[in-house]
Amino acid sequence: MKSKRLMATLLVVMMMTLAFVGCAPAENTEADAPKENVDTKEVKDEAITLRIYAQYSDDDTKVPYDYAAQELKKAYPNVTLELDIQGQDDGQKLQTYAATGNLPDIFQVGTAQIETFKESKNILVLDDYVKSTGFDKKLHASAENLLWNEDGHAYAFPYAGNELVLIYYNKELFEEHGVKVPETYEELKEAVAKFNAADIVPLSIFAKEKWITTALYDVFATRFDEGGIKKLDKGNGSAKEEAYVKAAEHLHELVKLGLLADGATNMNYDQAASLFYEGKAAMFINGQWEIQASTEKLGDKVDWMFYPVVSENPEAKYAFAGGGAPGGYAVSPYSEHKDLAAEVAAFISEKYCEAKYMYRANPLLAVKVDPSIEPVEKFPPMMEKLAKELPNITSTTAFAWGLTEPKFKVAIEDQSQILLTEGYSPEQFIEELEKTIERLK
Amino acid sequence: MQSFFSNKKAIAIFVLPSLLLFTIIVFYPLVQIFIKSFYDWNGLSSGTFIGIENYVRLFDDTTFRISIINGLIFAAFLTIYQIGLGTILAFAASNIKTKAGGFFRIVYFLPVVLSVTVVCQLWLSVFNAEYGLLNKIFEIFGMSFSQDWLSDGNTAIYVVAFVNAWHYLGYQFALILAGIKSIPGHYYEAAQIDGASPLQAHLRITLPMLAETYRFCLVLAITGGLNAFTQMFIMTGGGPGTATYSLTYMMYSSSFRAGEYGYGMAAASFLVIECLIATIVINKLMAREKIVY
Repeated sequence: MKSKRLMATLLVVMMMTLAFVGCAPAENTEADAPKENVDTKEVKDEAITLRIYAQYSDDDTKVPYDYAAQELKKAYPNVTLELDIQGQDDGQKLQTYAATGNLPDIFQVGTAQIETFKESKNILVLDDYVKSTGFDKKLHASAENLLWNEDGHAYAFPYAGNELVLIYYNKELFEEHGVKVPETYEELKEAVAKFNAADIVPLSIFAKEKWITTALYDVFATRFDEGGIKKLDKGNGSAKEEAYVKAAEHLHELVKLGLLADGATNMNYDQAASLFYEGKAAMFINGQWEIQASTEKLGDKVDWMFYPVVSENPEAKYAFAGGGAPGGYAVSPYSEHKDLAAEVAAFISEKYCEAKYMYRANPLLAVKVDPSIEPVEKFPPMMEKLAKELPNITSTTAFAWGLTEPKFKVAIEDQSQILLTEGYSPEQFIEELEKTIERLK
Repeated sequence: MQSFFSNKKAIAIFVLPSLLLFTIIVFYPLVQIFIKSFYDWNGLSSGTFIGIENYVRLFDDTTFRISIINGLIFAAFLTIYQIGLGTILAFAASNIKTKAGGFFRIVYFLPVVLSVTVVCQLWLSVFNAEYGLLNKIFEIFGMSFSQDWLSDGNTAIYVVAFVNAWHYLGYQFALILAGIKSIPGHYYEAAQIDGASPLQAHLRITLPMLAETYRFCLVLAITGGLNAFTQMFIMTGGGPGTATYSLTYMMYSSSFRAGEYGYGMAAASFLVIECLIATIVINKLMAREKIVY
């Protein structure tokens, strides 16, 4: 009998302990947080390892990271970075780190996750560090929106500038088939018909990734309303507004006319890009970071075009989809060396900009680059053209990862992808999107 | 042995580790799922209690309706394909008395040991709309069956279900074959003496005797279909749009993509209840009496 009681008591105690452990809120309390931060001066000579959570998957992410890490060794010889590679997992890994109180000292973060981390106090407010590191002075005036959140605080040191969605085209294919580079929606329809007749895919898109389907819809939305999807994300509009309805209808009409390749919504980047590089697709949609890869593959045969305008709004030529939003390298408030981590985060962001400028032919950066630094290779003509047109751009919107409301982001991503299939109607698209917008009000 | 089984302390000591493990890994998270489904929770903070609001929203959500239907399609597909084909193959394999029987057993089971990623990539290539093997075969034979298999909202779920069914067919086959092998041979000898053909013997002896095996297979197929996730995740990402969402995928999307963990937990709770009901119904309807040979 006694042993039974003992056993039962043991079990109950264990279960209660488990329950209390699990019920504890994930956000660390003040008591958990280090009361005094280790003085940066004291740790100058001490060997310190900082855990950093960063993208490191392709040349566009590996080259800047490696360069920044190398430069850090020179500037902070006592600091070692321990890289934890970011997964393409919708932020699951980082969220789990935060939930288990295991956040890396420095981590890359996007706009939506900043909002979640702010609420749960899992992100350090960097306002003072922006000033102490002089980051604010190095920031491009056009990149203020990338550093300062809507609440007036800085939560991450940005490195990418206000990037854009571009439609690339194969000049040779257009000439060969006597197709005019479309400047209007009607011309785009003609181009689609001509390329289909020649058995060429008019527009290649890696629509398995939902951010690019969102970008494509945004391109059409900006033809009618320069606010694009950003306006809806901010809660300043309704999906039932004429601009968004027409954008859906125009895009769907083109899909029905054969704008995209068969199986487009199941195509990854490599598949879609190879269609374009091999001359099987006439146009390709991606961010401006595609410039270098496309130039390498197609040389002077490739260029980018302004999005075709619609007769209702011919002024929209310089309204671009894409743009920037707060994001970049953030710091954990529970880092043992949070001052140093913030300094290093600012340093790395700056060095990312240098690397992107020097090695990735990318002048769209958050931070000014030292004028003495020269790009390793001359900028491709497409980049020169973009740099020339940048001052004329009247408006930008946001990439999917720059949307502030994650619920809206999921809705627009899912809906814009299925809109690219013939069986789905623009009415269904609008209805589903509006439902989400209404719920968020 | 008798004294060992009467020793409660010994039983408790041996059971305790697995009981604890079960409590930590299964029972506790399950309870948490139900609790958190009543909260507006972002996965990090403690959340706000909102009563049954998440459940009310579920029933007004088109994605939830699609997920339920997809789960049922998936379950039906797995049941028909895996148990139906598994039975035919198991009957055939049990009738082959030569070494070829062993060969077929291995071949049928082979896909089960392949990684799910490998299987999905393989079938992604086959079903590719532009260069896929399937469409090319139709093209070669001049047939007009070419489809946008995975980009068509109407066909994608069947393709994904087929891949899962193909992958785990061998598992069901092995279970059914093991069931057949455990039926005493003298039943068949008696049937043979009475003049029954092999087909009649299988219909009159094997099938009724396999009721318990089928019950288990059915539970696996139905619950496996209702909570399918991996194939959608790898092959379609739930798309196009939400066309291949299952309840598990919906839970993932609501929680990790939209940051609505409370809502995701409500979908998960519904899934748990759905699987539980399916299991109870199957157990009620099938093999009410234990079969003793």
